[in-house]
Amino acid sequence: MIPVFRSAWLHQPATRACAALALVLVLGALFNADGAFFSAATHRDTFRAVSIYGILACGMTLVVVAGGIDLAVGSVLGLAAVAFSTVAIHWGWPVWAAIPVTLALGAGCGAVSGGLVSIFRLQPFIATLAMMVFARGTAKWMCGGEKVSTAVAGADGNFTNLPLPAIYDTLNARLFGGTVAVVTLVFFACVAVCWVLLARLRVGRHLYAIGGNEEAARLSGVPVLRAKLLAYSACGALAALAGICQAGQEMQGDPEAGTTYELNAIAMVVIGGTSLGGGRGGIVLTLIGALTIGYLEKILSINAVGEAARLMLTGGIIVGAVLLQRSRR
Amino acid sequence: MRFATLVLVLLTATLAAAEQRWTIGVSQCNLGEPWRVQMNNDLKQAAMAHPELTMVFKDAQNDTLRQRAHVEEFVDARINLLIISPKEAQPLTQPVAQAMDAGIPVIVLDRKVSGDRYTCFIGADNQLIGQAAGAWIAKALSGGGKVVELKGLMTSTPGQERNHGFRDGIKDSKVEVVFEADMKWLEANARKEMESALTRFPDLKLVYAHNDPGAHGAWLAAKAAGRENDIIFVGIDGLPQEGQQYVRQGILAASFEYPTGGREAIDAALKILAGGTVAKDIVLTSRVFTPANIEKGGEVVGR
Repeated sequence: MIPVFRSAWLHQPATRACAALALVLVLGALFNADGAFFSAATHRDTFRAVSIYGILACGMTLVVVAGGIDLAVGSVLGLAAVAFSTVAIHWGWPVWAAIPVTLALGAGCGAVSGGLVSIFRLQPFIATLAMMVFARGTAKWMCGGEKVSTAVAGADGNFTNLPLPAIYDTLNARLFGGTVAVVTLVFFACVAVCWVLLARLRVGRHLYAIGGNEEAARLSGVPVLRAKLLAYSACGALAALAGICQAGQEMQGDPEAGTTYELNAIAMVVIGGTSLGGGRGGIVLTLIGALTIGYLEKILSINAVGEAARLMLTGGIIVGAVLLQRSRR
Repeated sequence: MRFATLVLVLLTATLAAAEQRWTIGVSQCNLGEPWRVQMNNDLKQAAMAHPELTMVFKDAQNDTLRQRAHVEEFVDARINLLIISPKEAQPLTQPVAQAMDAGIPVIVLDRKVSGDRYTCFIGADNQLIGQAAGAWIAKALSGGGKVVELKGLMTSTPGQERNHGFRDGIKDSKVEVVFEADMKWLEANARKEMESALTRFPDLKLVYAHNDPGAHGAWLAAKAAGRENDIIFVGIDGLPQEGQQYVRQGILAASFEYPTGGREAIDAALKILAGGTVAKDIVLTSRVFTPANIEKGGEVVGR
């Protein structure tokens, strides 16, 4: 092989993640659906569509780096969408109360999962699977199985419309001359916060240490319990934030919202190059992974590819991207 | 003495009333869908007017075997009548037949079971509703135009029938379906697919979605692009708190009702319990809701 291709930066995970993204973008340029792929709106919409999954993936990265996994994020998203819509639309709470309460609810769900994992030593898969089912049930119970929208039944059985709080329009808006959706900015803010947490703060080093070797980390004085609780709580809070954004996007709280989103979030983390074994990876990788999947979905969508072919192509390309990721030592 | 008589009369009356109490078991296949939540609500509301009815609801959470177990539990509990909306025909045919063998009349709602071992089937016809929607759209776009079809799930019967009926309804018109995608009945997916359609076609005239949340998701995408006033949105289901509200708000130009049959099922149940007979197959009529007729309760379509 030519020496230049053996240089160190080529073996950086970020380089390889970018290669996978580039591969998908090349596919987009080839199958551009009569030039639709080159329009600015396509890219803006891709970023918007990827934002909700991306916020989930940010939280997922924190947990995965510490050697865990959180299957509950999709359900917590649904629970948060219902809770937020209930307090904001039906109870008329102001935004400054509704948002913190919803985030606290999400963080609480995460803290319970984290407590089950770190204190009661349940396997992360089992603990968060239980939370996934429990949170979905709570969401359905909270709203009686019906979507929480502005339509409410009066005593006579006729429906009237409550006013939609301004926050819903805000979350649905675009800024900078209509070039960026608000939810995309929320996603970028989450990436920034998680980047600081993982790459610049001590707790970030602790999470990597725990993911690398939990016993060694404990023996060298890492506060394992506290760090894990923090990771799962932050993951829950981010899932709740995604739920608020989802509610804003749909103008209602749907108890079924977020079903199977956890799989997308995990796929984004893994395609970026963060190891499911823990200890290796990072938030920038997750950002690239999220865009890879987002663009893949968008390219299939603008070409109006049928559902069967979409599923097969997605599966094939995910394997391709992960193989591209593998180091060739 | 007079008092004693009164007590005796009251007691007899209570006993007589108690003897006429009926327990109806309702086996619902999946309460994850708003339309099925509405079906249960319609059943509850209709039954509320009849204090002699006790309703017991079970939700199979989209699991065929769980629904089968529910039916068997109902038979063991010796309910007086079973109302079932089966997840699938084949696996639930035998449990329903066993309920019939145990002397429990069965009303099948929305989806059929195989064979004829049931008392009465009540359901709407998706094919006819799709056709009515197609005919309405052909009329609304008499000069022709580009249409987006946001399909439910093409591996599900309602999705297939709403698609076939629609294509049948527009076949002699100048309506042209330029973009179609499966949105799996979900609003968030419909929005994504519609964004793609909007970037590809600058001159869309109409969106036909297989359910109202799909049409609403498409409207949200068009609104974000500032094109919601250039496009007509048509959906199916017409639930009071969903499609009908969207029509009232001017979001949808039309929503075609897919009736739940809840009220009709209670009517039929009362007749059967009183020893009467009902038709074996009852096809429900559908209504279309438009801004012009919504306050008058819609307009009957098809047939």
